[in-house]
Amino acid sequence: MLTRCIIAENRKLHGSVIWLAFFIIPIFPAIMGTFNYTQNLDILKQGWFDLWTQHTLFYALFFFGPIVGLYAAYLWRLEHLGHNWNMILSAPVHPMYLFFAKFVVVAKMAVLTQLWVFVLFGICGHFFAHLPGFPPLQTLLWLLRGSLGGIAVIVLQLLLAMVIRSFAAPVLIALAGGVAGMAFISQGHGLLFPYSLMMVGMNSNRAEDVMTGQVPLFLLSILIFSVIFLAISHVFLTKHDVHA
Amino acid sequence: MAHVIETNMLTKTYGTQTVVNQINLSVPEESIYGFIGPNGAGKSTTMKLLLGLAHPTAGSIHLLGKEMNQANRLTLLRQTGSLIESPSCYGHLTARENLQIICDLKGVPYRDIDRVLEIVQLTQYCKRKVSDFSLGMRQRLGIAQALLGSPKLLILDEPTNGLDPAGIQEMRSFIRKIPQSCGAAVLISSHLLSELEQIIDQVGIINQGKLLFQGDLSALQRHSRGDYILRVLHPKKACSTLLAQGITVRATGQLLQIPSVGEETLANLVQQLAAQDAGIVGLTQQTKSLEDIFLSLTSQKEAV
Repeated sequence: MLTRCIIAENRKLHGSVIWLAFFIIPIFPAIMGTFNYTQNLDILKQGWFDLWTQHTLFYALFFFGPIVGLYAAYLWRLEHLGHNWNMILSAPVHPMYLFFAKFVVVAKMAVLTQLWVFVLFGICGHFFAHLPGFPPLQTLLWLLRGSLGGIAVIVLQLLLAMVIRSFAAPVLIALAGGVAGMAFISQGHGLLFPYSLMMVGMNSNRAEDVMTGQVPLFLLSILIFSVIFLAISHVFLTKHDVHA
Repeated sequence: MAHVIETNMLTKTYGTQTVVNQINLSVPEESIYGFIGPNGAGKSTTMKLLLGLAHPTAGSIHLLGKEMNQANRLTLLRQTGSLIESPSCYGHLTARENLQIICDLKGVPYRDIDRVLEIVQLTQYCKRKVSDFSLGMRQRLGIAQALLGSPKLLILDEPTNGLDPAGIQEMRSFIRKIPQSCGAAVLISSHLLSELEQIIDQVGIINQGKLLFQGDLSALQRHSRGDYILRVLHPKKACSTLLAQGITVRATGQLLQIPSVGEETLANLVQQLAAQDAGIVGLTQQTKSLEDIFLSLTSQKEAV
């Protein structure tokens, strides 16, 4: 049943404008990061790793949260428009399966976005920063770990976009969350705030790995936040009347 | 007769407002049941309650012989097709892709798509984006979505809303065929009785959350008999005789209009008029149009 819901959600992305956002938005932090790097070559001496700090500084802070927020808001906007809520909730599937299916699709898009960011990182490093060789594999792993850290954000953004009918509001919340997340990290409380988890996982703005020894806590934090947001979503979907 | 929908004292309140008030709905199988009421009467809310889109404050719902509860919900929804408030579709996708999504959610094989497209005559437009569809085509697509999986019960909320007369006629012809072609019962709502009277065989009239009438159309007509029209040669004599019997009269020349009375009372009145030499030339009973009946019922505000 869940598989059928995922197939249905994937189908909704056919020919969708969201793919434009997918390709275009990550280009901005790549340009900003590369520009910053090339302007500060006198203090940035660690090659690919320093380019990484500049790329992820902008990407993690201002872009990843809103991109995920955009994906989630888009998927729920499809239901908020017209009376599609009536249609999906009168389908013979458990309402939470609809939510899980959207989660899988947003998570898939988030991972693809991370891979696209890695491609852009490589292109910018090679052609514009003129760095030798290929990007370190470690940065790819950090990106994928960032996706893992993004799970709680994805669930939260799906919850917000489901409850708030406005398209822009959840995206703006994600933007604010990203900035607040950096503040949490700077205070040493990165594992206590969902929007920080992605940055921590991604080793944002750091050349050396900051997660050494903290992986179990990192995973536990993702789990706790995700379960809380899923529980709220379950209550909303099963107890709340549809006002399509 | 078995019923595909039965509600018992179904009630829904929002805050202090009772939107659906102790409704006992009975929809026989393989029938087309017209659920009629003015805007805001509680039709859509009742339909949402039937589908589990809203939760009843009190009362119970039985669909296809089973109670609509958490345990039976998915089984019942699998046998139910619906179109609530307006067609639900994704404009950036084609008609076929929209139907594929419903197939995915209902677990229906994609081959059923061709069947329903043919029923609603959208086969040639199936590769066109729904955003390019007219309202009438969208409504037909909505019906096609509801028909996927050959449900035993169709719940259609104002499917003719916003359509031009030709579109309404077309929609009516689709719906009329459903019990025979699909073996499904149809619960269809409208705020206009005249729009549905050609296709329905059962009717329920709702106003301010209360079910004012339920039964077949002929019963509705019997329930609300029209006034009698008397044609007499001597209206003054006739009027004084009728007034003496406590009957209110509206006179226009030789025509006297008196309210509907029982057959015995009528026979007695005719006898009295004949005895007073009123000169009865003719006696007819007005037939109220269904629209008049609907209006008189919804203005009475009292449950039958």
